[in-house]
Amino acid sequence: MILDVLRTIRARNLQSFGFYSVGSSRMRDIKVKADPREVLTSSDEEEEAVQVIESVSIRENEVSSSSLSVKSTPEIEKKYVHRVYDAIAPHFSSTRFAKWPKVAAFLESLPSGSVILDAGCGNGKYLGLNPSCFFIGCDISHPLIKICSDKGQEVLVADAVNLPYREEFGDAAISIAVLHHLSTENRRKKAIEELVRVVKPGGFVLITVWAAEQEDTSLLTKWTPLSAKYVEEWVGPGSPMNSPRVRNNPFFSLESIPETEVSTKEQKAENSPFIGLESIPESEESTKEHKGESIIPETKSSIVEQKDEKSVQDSLEALKKSQQEYFVPWHLPYHRAEVSGASASALASGLAKKDDRKGAVVYNRYYHVFSEGELERLASGVGNAMIVDRFYDKSNWCIVLQKAALNQD
Amino acid sequence: MRLITHNMLSCNIKGVTNGFPLRIEAGNVIEKEVEFNPDFLRHMFAKLEWKALVEGARSMGYAELPEDSPDAAVLESDEAFLKKLHHALLELHLEEGALVCPETGRKFPVNKGIPNMLLHEDEV
Repeated sequence: MILDVLRTIRARNLQSFGFYSVGSSRMRDIKVKADPREVLTSSDEEEEAVQVIESVSIRENEVSSSSLSVKSTPEIEKKYVHRVYDAIAPHFSSTRFAKWPKVAAFLESLPSGSVILDAGCGNGKYLGLNPSCFFIGCDISHPLIKICSDKGQEVLVADAVNLPYREEFGDAAISIAVLHHLSTENRRKKAIEELVRVVKPGGFVLITVWAAEQEDTSLLTKWTPLSAKYVEEWVGPGSPMNSPRVRNNPFFSLESIPETEVSTKEQKAENSPFIGLESIPESEESTKEHKGESIIPETKSSIVEQKDEKSVQDSLEALKKSQQEYFVPWHLPYHRAEVSGASASALASGLAKKDDRKGAVVYNRYYHVFSEGELERLASGVGNAMIVDRFYDKSNWCIVLQKAALNQD
Repeated sequence: MRLITHNMLSCNIKGVTNGFPLRIEAGNVIEKEVEFNPDFLRHMFAKLEWKALVEGARSMGYAELPEDSPDAAVLESDEAFLKKLHHALLELHLEEGALVCPETGRKFPVNKGIPNMLLHEDEV
């Protein structure tokens, strides 16, 4: 296995040294002779996040892929990934402590002194895991990054689909449980390309994603499959739902969906109260809630006009055949929700709902889980990298890529 | 934000071709001691854009680095130089300030040591 090969690669035998050790007696402010300029704060973005969410209205001509950059964040990710993680960050972080052995092994196999880039680092669980290496982490969630920063990690807020890094700086990169939050194939592929771009020639990239093939199949009953309605609304270029036939059909009118419709599946499934589960394929982090009834998945769309029956049917068929789009719940206990003000407005806008029985605010996280071979297929489309390892572990598909080395003449 | 990170950061606004290095507007800089590791510094040296590091350090109030990129001999055996490189690269932290795109002038804020490099909708 490639990891054995990696272990034998030693650039220099460095002692482990603490990049993050802080000699507090030496901390001092440096008087800088620059003019104190107006400093922009990130509070604007936080403000935005807690505003009541306007209805999503996508005009027909905006559906065409040419007008929407792959780097633009689709609504479904803003609402069901970014805002959710911002709201649950401290609680989420408290459940993220177990280090996944396969990731640890990869990191520990890297040569001492390596610069390791973690794109989508979350609460920074893996930053600093190999003390002889220097980690730089980024995540789109400022609250999660703050948690990393408080631990002395070197981090920044950035988008994995568009890394603000010049190329080839890193010795290695990791993307652990990140790509499944990207809602289009183009974005997922772009994120892989970014990981490869930012590492040096010959550098390694480890990517892990949740598998559609879950070891614990009962988990799937606790997730909510996205209905065709949501896929049309929010899944952008690259989705099978956004094929030319679908796009050019004047009867696919994408009307705005008011926030309350987020909960319609709960309203319709009267006999199955929505009880979810923090599904965590990383098995060490067992959740406290394994009970729960499954929700009745909604498969009929009320938005789509039936004029072009064939294309509608084709799309719905494709969706049913490979159900890979899910909402996975996160239960934020009430006492945790008060700490983060975001929950009040999330409830007001319908982004989350209360479960008094469990004493928790229930959020939904968007996932595109990967089917067997899908991650490899995506990665093999990236020109200058080779797949050097692939495996399935604890309900995750994983690959290791190696960026092409420079040509030796 | 340390200068090791700054040396990697680049403005990724659509259409920008000269987004590196970002100019540092330093509001508050602090120092945090880190264990000296010359081997790491030698490994890092190959990655660094030297001018960007010197200018960045100057912006943060540290002007001890030589203007010109040192040669291999210095890197190998000049401990005084290595200590300066160590200090600039790893021990200076920009806590409050901004990183400014050289091409567009766009400011990326740095608060509590954390740069926010997220773009607005119209910048992607």
